Amino acid sequence: MIVTRAQRRVARGFLAASLLLVSLLPAVAAADDSAALLDISKYRGKVVVVDFWASWCGPCRRSLPWLDGMQRKYADDGLVIIGVNEDNTSEAAEAFLQNVPVDFEIVLDLAGDIAREYELIAMPSTYVFGRDGKLASRHLGFKTAKQDEYEALLRGLLDTGTAASERE
Amino acid sequence: MAATDNKRKRRAGAPQVPGNIVQGLAAATCSLLGTAASMPVAAEEEPQWNFDTALLYYGESDERVQDLSFNVLARRMFPDDKILSLGLGVDSLTGASPSGAIPQNEVQTFTRPSGDEVYPVAPGELPLDDTFLDTRYALTAGWQQPIGRLYTGSAGISFSTEYDYTHAGVNFGISRDFNKRNTTVSLGAAIARDQLDPVGGAPLPLAVMGDLGDLSNRGEDTEEKDVVDLLFGVTQVINERFLVQVNYSLSDSSGYLNDPYKILSVVDPTTGNAIARTPGPGMGPLHEYRFENRPDQRRKHSVFLQGKYFMDGKVLDMSWRYMTDDWGIDSHTLDATFRWPLGERSWLEPHLRLYTQTEADFYRASLPAGELPAYASADYRLAAFDAFTAGIKYGRRTSSDNELAIRLEYYRQDGDIPGDQLFGDHSSDVLYPGLDAIIVNLSYGFDL
Amino acid sequence: MASTRRLALAAAIAMLNGTACSSLGVEPWERDVLARDEMQLVTDPVQASIDDHIYFSKEASSGGRGFGGGGCGCN
Repeated sequence: MIVTRAQRRVARGFLAASLLLVSLLPAVAAADDSAALLDISKYRGKVVVVDFWASWCGPCRRSLPWLDGMQRKYADDGLVIIGVNEDNTSEAAEAFLQNVPVDFEIVLDLAGDIAREYELIAMPSTYVFGRDGKLASRHLGFKTAKQDEYEALLRGLLDTGTAASERE
Repeated sequence: MAATDNKRKRRAGAPQVPGNIVQGLAAATCSLLGTAASMPVAAEEEPQWNFDTALLYYGESDERVQDLSFNVLARRMFPDDKILSLGLGVDSLTGASPSGAIPQNEVQTFTRPSGDEVYPVAPGELPLDDTFLDTRYALTAGWQQPIGRLYTGSAGISFSTEYDYTHAGVNFGISRDFNKRNTTVSLGAAIARDQLDPVGGAPLPLAVMGDLGDLSNRGEDTEEKDVVDLLFGVTQVINERFLVQVNYSLSDSSGYLNDPYKILSVVDPTTGNAIARTPGPGMGPLHEYRFENRPDQRRKHSVFLQGKYFMDGKVLDMSWRYMTDDWGIDSHTLDATFRWPLGERSWLEPHLRLYTQTEADFYRASLPAGELPAYASADYRLAAFDAFTAGIKYGRRTSSDNELAIRLEYYRQDGDIPGDQLFGDHSSDVLYPGLDAIIVNLSYGFDL
Repeated sequence: MASTRRLALAAAIAMLNGTACSSLGVEPWERDVLARDEMQLVTDPVQASIDDHIYFSKEASSGGRGFGGGGCGCN
């Protein structure tokens, strides 16, 4: 409940910031993610893959083992995979993960707020951010035929970053 | 709850590719099996075969038609979201079907379609022709795959054969998603060529039923029929728990559309009695009967509306189909099923179907002597009638995650012959006693 | 306050820009119910075929059902 004028001003400021993000994402997602629901700023310097999945989505389920493989393969090179789960209950997500365990970070998005923030238009969707925190690529759907292509993209992003960070 | 939820979702995680036309149109062109709109997928996502099998018994009362059939649908998904479907069906048909002749107060004699035999019908009995012992085999094959991100294409073939009838058809379909896949527009086409080899040859239009051994009233040995079906449909997600579909379909049949075994009784317009005749030197009909004749074209328009509504675990499925054709037949079909989960593994699904149709322009319960229209048929399937089906289905997911179900249904048809077609002391109930049938269907679905 | 009203209007515009162009439907992540087996337009294709064949043999109408749409909406 907002009572004081100061609190109202803060609320309005927050609303303005959120609106700015909503209308500018995904282009600016990483640049100003201090106010974002999913904070990936702590992974600046690494290649971040944000993958939206759900237990009721067939292609999403096919993508998890592959993402897990990528995480294991490139973790040392600076790859971070975050699986954002869009199930309605945490039980559904947990039950699924018991059958298909993965090593990467899982974030529960029960109300769909993160999906809304990212303006998701398909399930699954994968957003890849470069080491600079900028959105490098967005994939709609998951096709096993394109696995090599996805991996090549990740390797490309991992390689550029390594060179840059070595300079530092 | 969560574990079961997951298990159900394991099998329920259909690849959600839009549907396949083979299902819709193959059925329309009378082939036995169609392929699936979507298929169950296991958690491991290993490519594997999914089988749906069904055993069906259909039995009409009063020693009429009985059918025992076995059907299998095998589906396999290939990466990415490509589906191969193969279907096989075997039907064993026995029993008798009304020939179109009406009961009389005296003995009637009919010559079989082959011309080799005659059979009597007692006074007051509905004449049935029981030369329907036959086995039918049907095959379908279909392929479905995404084209780009938003299109899905499909193609299939269908084939069926029985001793006097062969069907062959191809079908194609394409659908596209709009509005974040909330809207799907589909187009489908199916073409079929059927061939009939009626026993004894196809009778000449409205020819008189001949004596034993007399096949002079027959025409060709082989007849053909072509069917073209077109479908346009829109599926729309209304909200999280409500889905609707609207379809318009057009069906054009041309060629030999008669039933070569159906006849009409020729009657005296005043008394309603059959016209007596003297059979030839051997044996033959004691009264006059004529073989039916239908137009050689038929165009049907159908509009179909379906809604599926989810309410706290229960699903209500309702549909309405309106059909109108250039034979003068209009029909309405209302169908409703309600799936009721029982516990975590099983469900109950009551079903009600209501059907009504008007008669074909050329439907005649009997032919008054002296009248010889271009087209006439006493086939009860072209008469005006109401029908309903009431049934219940019980399904259960087994411990190995396969699905077992049993369905019991009762189907009843009640006809009503218009007054101007009743002559003498004819009564509608006697001429058209309707149909009573039970359906028992066992099904089993499993993965290999 | 006028500025609050302006913000509310901006919010509405931003939301409209961000959401679907159609007023009917759900977001891609809200299709869990639609993905269920029992929510597909044809839940049992073999049964649908069998029934269609029975009614085609006993009545003057056939077909009508279509294909496509609904479901998970994935890929």
